[in-house]
Amino acid sequence: MRETMRRRTQIATVLCLLVAGSMAVVGPAIAASAEKYLHVNVEDPTRGESVNVNVTLSMAERILPAINNHNLHNGKILIHNAEMNGVDIRALLDAVRTAPDNEFVTVKDKDSDVRVAKASGNIIVHVIDRKNKEQKVDVTVPLKVVDALFNTVKNDELDIVAALRALSDAGDVLLVTVQDSSQKVRVWVDSQNTQD
Amino acid sequence: MILLGKSVLGMAGVVLAGAGILCSEGLVHVKVVERKPPGLHISVIAPAMLAPIAVHFAPQRDLAQAAREIQPYVPAIRAALDSLRDTEDVVFVDVKEPYERVRVSKLGGAIVVDVDHIGETVHVSAPVRAISSTIEQLAAASSNSL
Repeated sequence: MRETMRRRTQIATVLCLLVAGSMAVVGPAIAASAEKYLHVNVEDPTRGESVNVNVTLSMAERILPAINNHNLHNGKILIHNAEMNGVDIRALLDAVRTAPDNEFVTVKDKDSDVRVAKASGNIIVHVIDRKNKEQKVDVTVPLKVVDALFNTVKNDELDIVAALRALSDAGDVLLVTVQDSSQKVRVWVDSQNTQD
Repeated sequence: MILLGKSVLGMAGVVLAGAGILCSEGLVHVKVVERKPPGLHISVIAPAMLAPIAVHFAPQRDLAQAAREIQPYVPAIRAALDSLRDTEDVVFVDVKEPYERVRVSKLGGAIVVDVDHIGETVHVSAPVRAISSTIEQLAAASSNSL
């Protein structure tokens, strides 16, 4: 009886140690994953130049409302000459949101290819500009971020802070890549505080 | 003899406590190394607590002007410093060029700026708390001068 008790105590002790050990390993990873980083990377191998920027989304969320300058006020940006007259952007977004995954716009000419599509809850834009150093632009924006951006009282403003909040909830995403014959630009969001 | 020993011990305690208080907000470190002749080498390490105190001794006219210039940006700086305190260590900006590298990072509660140029290197490190206190001093000076 005493032997069984001792055995159980030993097993319980080993289990406790295992749980504590795994918490020590997994705990920081869970804590670290809570913070989302916006990364910008510009590489120009021909000139031997590179720029890396890493900013926490929460920091941007806190700083932006404190900047009241020019067209930026309380985390919202005013777009004066948006040329949106006659276009109900919210109705357009609603139509895109409810539509199935599809390619909405395809334009091909001798100078450029443009493609706008919806796939897996993202708005995807591909542009190839042959006139400008074979420049390729890929933009992927989660629809929730676009919704948050336009979810404002006024028609001529964009809610940047709400979009950042939505981006923070959207998971890891490669937002923009721009590539031409000399430069490569990438903008993405993930939980890493480095670009490695 | 015992009295002398006690006095020395007391003075050493006061000096240690003073040093502890002075260094409680961390240290500001400025280092400039010039690679070209005459090869200037400056390294200053000062208690960060002195920075907001030094603001008191700055000439009032210059202080008022600096305070006026910084005033529009104070809310944004305040928000940035508040969120910096909660942020883990990170390299915010890293710019590499063939003959120069600039890094701005947060390291252990301090903002660190490193410039590595072909002719010189500059290292500046200042605790976030000290920067915050200095900004608050400047903001107060601005509201007083209005």
